[in-house]
Amino acid sequence: MKRSAAEIIREYGPFPGIEAVHGLTFDGRQVWFASGDRINALDPASGRLARSIEVKAYAGTAFDGTHLYQIAEKRIQKIDPKTGRVLHTIPAPGDSNSGLAWAEGSLWVGQYRDRKIVQVDPETGKVLRTIDSNRFVTGVTWVEGELWHGTWEGDESGLRHIDPKSGEVLEQLDLPPGTMVSGIEADGGDRFYCGGGKSGKVRAVRRPTRGGAKAGGTEAGSAGRK
Amino acid sequence: MDSLITAAARALAAGDPFGALNLVALREDAPALALRGIAMAQLGDLARAKLLLRKAARGFGPREAVARARCVVAEAEVALAARDLNGPAKTLEAARALLEAQGDRANAAHARYLEVRRLLLIGRLDEAERKLEGLDPAPFPPALRAAHELVVAGIAMRRLQARATRAALAKAERAARQAGIPALTAEVESAQRLLQAPAARRIARGGERPLRLAEVETLLASKALVVDACRRAVREGDKLVSLATRPVLFALAGALAEAWPGDVARETLLARAFGAKHADESHRARLRVEIGRLRAMLRPLAHLSATKQGFALAPRRAREVVLLAPPGEEAHAAVLAFLADGEAWSSSALALALGTSQRSVQRALDALAAEGKVQALGRARARRWMTPPLPAFTTALLLPAPLPGG
Repeated sequence: MKRSAAEIIREYGPFPGIEAVHGLTFDGRQVWFASGDRINALDPASGRLARSIEVKAYAGTAFDGTHLYQIAEKRIQKIDPKTGRVLHTIPAPGDSNSGLAWAEGSLWVGQYRDRKIVQVDPETGKVLRTIDSNRFVTGVTWVEGELWHGTWEGDESGLRHIDPKSGEVLEQLDLPPGTMVSGIEADGGDRFYCGGGKSGKVRAVRRPTRGGAKAGGTEAGSAGRK
Repeated sequence: MDSLITAAARALAAGDPFGALNLVALREDAPALALRGIAMAQLGDLARAKLLLRKAARGFGPREAVARARCVVAEAEVALAARDLNGPAKTLEAARALLEAQGDRANAAHARYLEVRRLLLIGRLDEAERKLEGLDPAPFPPALRAAHELVVAGIAMRRLQARATRAALAKAERAARQAGIPALTAEVESAQRLLQAPAARRIARGGERPLRLAEVETLLASKALVVDACRRAVREGDKLVSLATRPVLFALAGALAEAWPGDVARETLLARAFGAKHADESHRARLRVEIGRLRAMLRPLAHLSATKQGFALAPRRAREVVLLAPPGEEAHAAVLAFLADGEAWSSSALALALGTSQRSVQRALDALAAEGKVQALGRARARRWMTPPLPAFTTALLLPAPLPGG
């Protein structure tokens, strides 16, 4: 396993009236993050909040190119970002659902204390596959065929690249001690966006790019967003 | 973050324990157990709350020391609500230190308030005040600010400072409303009612009347010589002679104050001070010795002059002598004074608070129970005493949900 310190490129927030950042996602232009009562759109260039959607938003957030998905209590809501309407709801797979990602036509749900990532059918909520990790799982994201998840266990937190078949950790970026990570999302380019939990912050962290790999992913996790 | 835990924590913070339980009732992982414990405490099931919190603390892993410390703090608060004052103060102290070191300032402060409230309940005011000094409530959430003002009010009340008490309670009321926690508002209201209740009796020149706290404060600030039976001291303005550890001398002073400006016969003094019905020569000799001691101690404030029958008190400057007595002529007024807070007390906690033996507290409780003035809850070691009618446990369970890392 390759292990290195995470490079924090930029910090956003905390924002007035927002106690915690739970999950987040990137729609190609804006970062959407969940903060309890609503999902907020953050312009990563200016650092300003553009607008928000009032909906229960207690954990992970994802984007499939058209819709937002948001975990609230024991369900996953499918939301039209233009109108803010909840279009569809499916049951969330487990008890400790935390992170959420969209890739390859599926939703991927991080389960915090169960240390699992579950692939579910976005129409029915049916569980298709389960990947085991050996750390608490917060956010989940796919980028260029790589599965990454946030981990946060007490004081230790970081971003881990794992083998989706074996669960083996291939690479880990350690965040400074005491830095919480809730949601994570790759922007398809050279950065991850990370939710900072109760710090109320959103952080941009440099994503290690493969030798010669160009910015801008072509695979799941970013392809559907352009 | 974990969706159900976040949702349940939000419900608890909004004062909705049933809503929180609905979300995590069937979960056995540590954060869920902790939230269930806090919810049960808010619902008044303190025994179950304690169990759940203890289980939660055990369930957190080695990397989750902060979460475990928060459980310890919550358990300490539950113990305090159950008036289990012998609880492990050291564990709480260690948890507070850990939370402080890890930058969880709100929960560290919460732990500090629990330490202060415990000291207040067991009557260690100076220590409580010292611990409070280092705390600035301004940056804390409203519930914690309310707790701060309640402790300030509690200390001021026990120091007979009505104005300071009222000011602190007004601040506590505002903060409690802001917090939106009904139990907290109720606690402030019941403290405000105490301000209107008789706090003592004023006995002078053969008459007596009840005094509220504000009137006690006025009396103590006046130019009268006050023989204070609530605190066992003789005072005039800032001058104070404490007779707390001299029960015989205090009994003599009380009898002399009550009779002022008249004198008190030797026989009466003997009966009051030694419980002697038939005084013999040795008693008389002892009375002379004790009067001599009292005379020496009161010298800055008053003369003790011998009269034909006995002795009389003559203040040096004061125009008046007043005896300040506890509000009821109860045989066990001190025990009742503690139970008057409406909470359930163990006899060991009462003994600790009163600085007396558990056996004598038990005797007082049995006597009061026979008169229907107190009632017991539970059996054996879990037995608690309170004044009827049975009030709810009003305690502000303020601990924010112990979210992992949050």
